[in-house]
Amino acid sequence: MSHNEFKQLIQLSLYGELSEEKQKKLISHLQNCEECRMELEQQKNIMKLITDHKNLEVDEDLLKEARLQLRRALRQERNEEVSFSSFKNYILQFFSTPPRLALGAISILIIGLAVGSIFLGRERLIIKEHQPGFTNASLMQNDLRVSNLQFIDSDPSDGEIEFTFNAEKQIHYKGSVNDPNVQNFLTYAMLNDQNPGSRLNSINVIDSYKSVSLDKEIKNALITVVMTDKNPGVRREALKLLNRSSFDGSTKQAYLFVLLHDSSSALRIEALNSLIEANKSGHSLDRNDLDLIIKQANQDDNNYIKLKSKTLLEEYN
Amino acid sequence: MEIAEKEIILKAQKGDQVAFEQLIYNYDKAVLSIAMKFVRDSDDAKDVYQEVFIRVYRSLKNFEFRSEFSTWIFRITTNVCLTYKSRKKEQFMVPLQEEFEEDNFQIRKFELISDEKSPEEECLSKDLQNFIGNAVVSLSERQRITFVLKHYEGYKIREIAEMLNCKEGTVKKYLFDAIKNLRKKLKPLEVYQT
Repeated sequence: MSHNEFKQLIQLSLYGELSEEKQKKLISHLQNCEECRMELEQQKNIMKLITDHKNLEVDEDLLKEARLQLRRALRQERNEEVSFSSFKNYILQFFSTPPRLALGAISILIIGLAVGSIFLGRERLIIKEHQPGFTNASLMQNDLRVSNLQFIDSDPSDGEIEFTFNAEKQIHYKGSVNDPNVQNFLTYAMLNDQNPGSRLNSINVIDSYKSVSLDKEIKNALITVVMTDKNPGVRREALKLLNRSSFDGSTKQAYLFVLLHDSSSALRIEALNSLIEANKSGHSLDRNDLDLIIKQANQDDNNYIKLKSKTLLEEYN
Repeated sequence: MEIAEKEIILKAQKGDQVAFEQLIYNYDKAVLSIAMKFVRDSDDAKDVYQEVFIRVYRSLKNFEFRSEFSTWIFRITTNVCLTYKSRKKEQFMVPLQEEFEEDNFQIRKFELISDEKSPEEECLSKDLQNFIGNAVVSLSERQRITFVLKHYEGYKIREIAEMLNCKEGTVKKYLFDAIKNLRKKLKPLEVYQT
């Protein structure tokens, strides 16, 4: 065995990691080897020096601080889980609860299909000569909108012509604002209309008719808009309308969600004000909510939010 | 694994927060101790500590009792240590080398003979700690974690191999290399090794 190998044995021996057999072998070698005895002494000294100057013991204060910090982080972790699951529930609820909203959607779909079947629908239809059910009369209806006319065959040599176009019929509906069909349609539009202006109008119309009660379906739709709509103007109007509804766990979650995640400071302020108002009305916030607000107070770049959050928190201290 | 601990783990896996805290408190001091010796800074150590237990919290449901729970936690600890990037990287970059050149040391050696430490000696002792700390921190991550676990925490090589998920021979190699490098870096302190 070489000196180098014995040096390794010395290290392992100092750490008590040597088998009895190797320990005996090392001792026997050390008795006859000056170089390895010196190596043993040097290793002992350096180990002692390192141990004596570690000054890194964990004291109780540090442990307490670490535990406190961890508790906060875990609470936040749990809240994020809850927020995510609430958000998921809202979405699932929206898509899975069968009542009015879904019925509304289905009825609109049926109307669409009916219109489509009568007036060629919104789908592109290739019209061919002698196609049954399609007459000049149907093309000549005043309320049929024709768009996107495209010619497939416009070669005059054979006297035939082939083209496609989109045809859609405008639906006109009149009824009471409390008519469930009207409300279903407006709710559906605020969630699904491609045009943000139309989504905004749907919300504003509901808002302007004070007689409309914000029932569970409308409220859930508003919460979904507040949390998911891409357009900040639409989100803001939805948030304002949501303020008209009664404060409960779901609205609180929506306000907290906006306060923590919305990119628009105006919306975060609106959400914070709603929480403050709810608090004044006796809807106190629990520890987890306060922790989220503390977090926001510390990290938000908007001074108003920082100030208002701290004022709200002071009421709880 | 003790039956009691297994029951606590099962409860914690079902979302029992009290059980989770109980579980943490069995190991957290050891985790903080490893972190402290690895990063050598109390704020960084708290960060490592927090990251370890957040990871434990997130992945506890996946713990399938294939290893000791302690091994699992310390494996997470070593992983966090190995990938941790200090927020105060500059802290260990203060050049202390000059202060520990042999010529400067001769005088100080005699100063240390006295039993009571003067303010200067206290200061020197702090400097020594920093110097040794710098030497430990300058090791590669794997050498450092092996050295911390073995030298400061006293774990068996077999246990360290489990934590680092490698062979015992590999642990020995890290340890030998760590000590070899430390001896090189601490050479200016040989004057103290009497």
